[in-house]
Amino acid sequence: MSAASYQRKLSFLLIVLALFFCTIQHASAKLDESADKWQNTLSVARGQTVFFYAWGGSKPINDYLRWASRQILTEYGVRLKHVKVADISEAVSRLKAEDGKKSAIDLVWINGENFAFLKQHQLLLGNLWEYIPNTRLLATDVLPLDADFGVKMDGFEVPWGVGQFNFIVSKAMASATSVTAESLLNLAKTHPQQLSYPRPPEFHGSTFLKQLLVELSNQDERLFKPATNKSKAELLPKFWAYLDKLHPFLWQQGEAFPSSSSEQMLLFQQRQLLLTVSFNPNQLHRDIAANAIPADSSLMYFEQGSITNSHNLAIPKGAPSKEGAKIVINFLLSERAQKRKLEGEWGDPSVISELQNTDSSLPSQQELHSSWQQVIEDAWQQRYGA
Amino acid sequence: MATTIRRLIIGLGWLLLAMIISLPVIGVLIGIWPGRFASVDALIDNLPLFLNYNGLGPSILYSMLASLVAPLVGFYVAFSVYTQYRFRPSWQTMERRLAPFLSLPHLAVALGLVYLFSAGGLIELGLGRKSITTLILAITVKEVPFFLFVISAIDRQIPVKKWLLQGRALGYSESASWWLLVFPLVLKQSKLALFAAMAYTLSVLDVSLLVGPNIPSVFSVLVYQWQTGFSERDLSFAFWANLTLIIMLGVSIFCLYIHQWISIRLFRYLAVMASPLVMLSKLSRLALAWFPLFSALSLGIILLFLLRSVGFWSGETYSLTLWQEEWLFVQQPLFNSLYTGLASGLIGIICALIALELQRQYRYFFADYIWLAAILLPQLSVVYGWQLAHTWINGSYSLIWVLVSHIPFVFAYSYLVLKGPFQSLGDEFELVARSFGYSYWQGWWRIRFMLLRPAILSAFAIGFSVSIAQYIPTLMIGAGRFPSITTEAVAIASGRDLNLTSLYMLLQSGLPMLIFIVAILFASRIDGKSHAIS
Repeated sequence: MSAASYQRKLSFLLIVLALFFCTIQHASAKLDESADKWQNTLSVARGQTVFFYAWGGSKPINDYLRWASRQILTEYGVRLKHVKVADISEAVSRLKAEDGKKSAIDLVWINGENFAFLKQHQLLLGNLWEYIPNTRLLATDVLPLDADFGVKMDGFEVPWGVGQFNFIVSKAMASATSVTAESLLNLAKTHPQQLSYPRPPEFHGSTFLKQLLVELSNQDERLFKPATNKSKAELLPKFWAYLDKLHPFLWQQGEAFPSSSSEQMLLFQQRQLLLTVSFNPNQLHRDIAANAIPADSSLMYFEQGSITNSHNLAIPKGAPSKEGAKIVINFLLSERAQKRKLEGEWGDPSVISELQNTDSSLPSQQELHSSWQQVIEDAWQQRYGA
Repeated sequence: MATTIRRLIIGLGWLLLAMIISLPVIGVLIGIWPGRFASVDALIDNLPLFLNYNGLGPSILYSMLASLVAPLVGFYVAFSVYTQYRFRPSWQTMERRLAPFLSLPHLAVALGLVYLFSAGGLIELGLGRKSITTLILAITVKEVPFFLFVISAIDRQIPVKKWLLQGRALGYSESASWWLLVFPLVLKQSKLALFAAMAYTLSVLDVSLLVGPNIPSVFSVLVYQWQTGFSERDLSFAFWANLTLIIMLGVSIFCLYIHQWISIRLFRYLAVMASPLVMLSKLSRLALAWFPLFSALSLGIILLFLLRSVGFWSGETYSLTLWQEEWLFVQQPLFNSLYTGLASGLIGIICALIALELQRQYRYFFADYIWLAAILLPQLSVVYGWQLAHTWINGSYSLIWVLVSHIPFVFAYSYLVLKGPFQSLGDEFELVARSFGYSYWQGWWRIRFMLLRPAILSAFAIGFSVSIAQYIPTLMIGAGRFPSITTEAVAIASGRDLNLTSLYMLLQSGLPMLIFIVAILFASRIDGKSHAIS
């Protein structure tokens, strides 16, 4: 080997080494920089008040946020105010009215269509994952956390908890834990008038339909891509044929549906229905513990997996207390907060790696592309809505 | 100089009224447009799709049916009850018992009915769980005490006893005299209350979702669904739906006018018949059953909620834990509601009196729908428009703005309660007072105001309860800085915790109940005095 060749190799090595050190240095500088930034955020946030728009219909959730407010106030000097809304569209409507200018909202609890709309119209603050240290704890390897109903999060929202579609069923009906479209139809036949689902476009109802569609089309790949006329024509007929068979056996022969999962729960409690719907796999145990439902009720989910999605936190672009809002998100992602959320009365599955246990989560089924939701809802209205 | 000041004051009065009246109109003009989220082309392109929406026709028919039947049936029942009880000693007890029912939110009454009478309820009456009949029934039941309250405010200004005596002198039975002599006037003066109940029925959302049909849904549910949607199509549909809603309101108002015309003519026609209204008299006697039924129902609902709130059905023992836990958090909302209710109630009364007095001086009363614009126009669009404007001017999220957002509604209700009694008071007494040397305003205060006190108290109580009930304006304009007992209660009721919902509904009813009781007690006392004088 010639000296020149050695020299070349050596210089190559040197360059590589130099590059390597540079990267390390750069990375650590970046780390320092972001640590600095976070320090800065912490000090700016002190004294801020964060107005957090979140659905206010659940006592365990409201209580959890009351607890979080106390913690955040003592630890960071940030005041968290839960603005209870009956429907989060009320927050979206305000953001629409403000159109990116100074906002009354600092933090909002959203997912799905709400997020897609706000992101599309650039009403949200970006780069949240970069700024908020605890996003590194997110279990991105095991949970589908990069997209929200098929729309990439791209740092415009941060996952807070996980929803998995499931049924709570009365002992009078079934004890099996999993269900297929076919076994569900049989249950409906053997228990006529005692099954139902929330009327679409209510999201539990729409999810129920999506579960059926996925199963009846053998998890066809086209369901995870934008719906086309061809895919619609090929995948939907079987699904409608199934619903045509199912509906006559439903509560009120399918001539009325519960308006919401809350109403379905009410009917379940009154024993008018033997089945209710939930997005929280731990709901069953919490409800039994609270004596809200009979102790022998059980959980049931679709055999091919529960449609799984996350519910998330986002900061409006015009939020006056952005720093405070980031502190709140960071706290809510911390192991302590996530643990209390999972193990406390709420029982909402965690999004961080440390707390991924298989006991409290169900086999999961990927969300369909969001275009399918509209397709199903429209066609449902056309076929059964009047 | 004096005339200049007087003109200035009158000018300012008109200006104030113009502002209150134009607020809802401005709101709806701004709020109805989807703005940059849907183009005009999209609006036009979506019109045929909107018209072809599956179930649109039946939805509209359901809503129209409910909006006419519920108020009218409620009104007739209320008047029948009134004729049966007015001169019984139990009337005052009954009036007092109206208070709790008047102050229960509509949703609470609907929930109570479902809990008590539907399949799976405590007493099975086979009440359909979700049907247009149940929806109409729930609203009618709730409107009866409202109309009774309004009728009794009107009644205090007319010499019913004298009329009934005259009726007897003419050979009519007492019941026939009620319908032939008193009813036409009461109907005319209740026109605005009927409008309000009609507009409420047309736009009510929570009750429709709970007990209304949903294959297809009533129209208000569709409007809400589109208005809170995102796609260009949803927003375009929302635009057309809001226009449709306004047209429906117009048609309903027209129908109510027609009803009034026919009904008054019918009674006039019946008056010359030999023994008129035998059937009606018999039917009216059925109204005697109303008092015990109604008392049982309101007691049942309140008891149900009380027991729920102490966890009666969800554990072996009941406890006050829920009350203890929530008490800390409901104080501020309760106080916020109280302040807003008192302030807007007072301002509402003053503005209504200004409106009536200025029209009296002007010798022209403007059409009623102008004054009731806030109640008649679709509230979600109106308030969304306000929210936009409030954002443009960078308004603060303070009590002042929340008040501004409540006043148009409170004003409209105060006006509808006061208009009849105000107009039925002639000028004679004031003329006499002036001949004794009192100035115009002295005479106004000492005679008109004093005679109107019972009606004013009723109007205040209604206005107060209307302010308490405002969810959308308080949330949208107060932006969460101003939580009221209603913003909390409505949010809680969207969930499925019935114990907590019961607790909040009781709390939400508490404030109006107090005010209604005070108003009814004072009104009957004042009433007694003025009767003693005359």
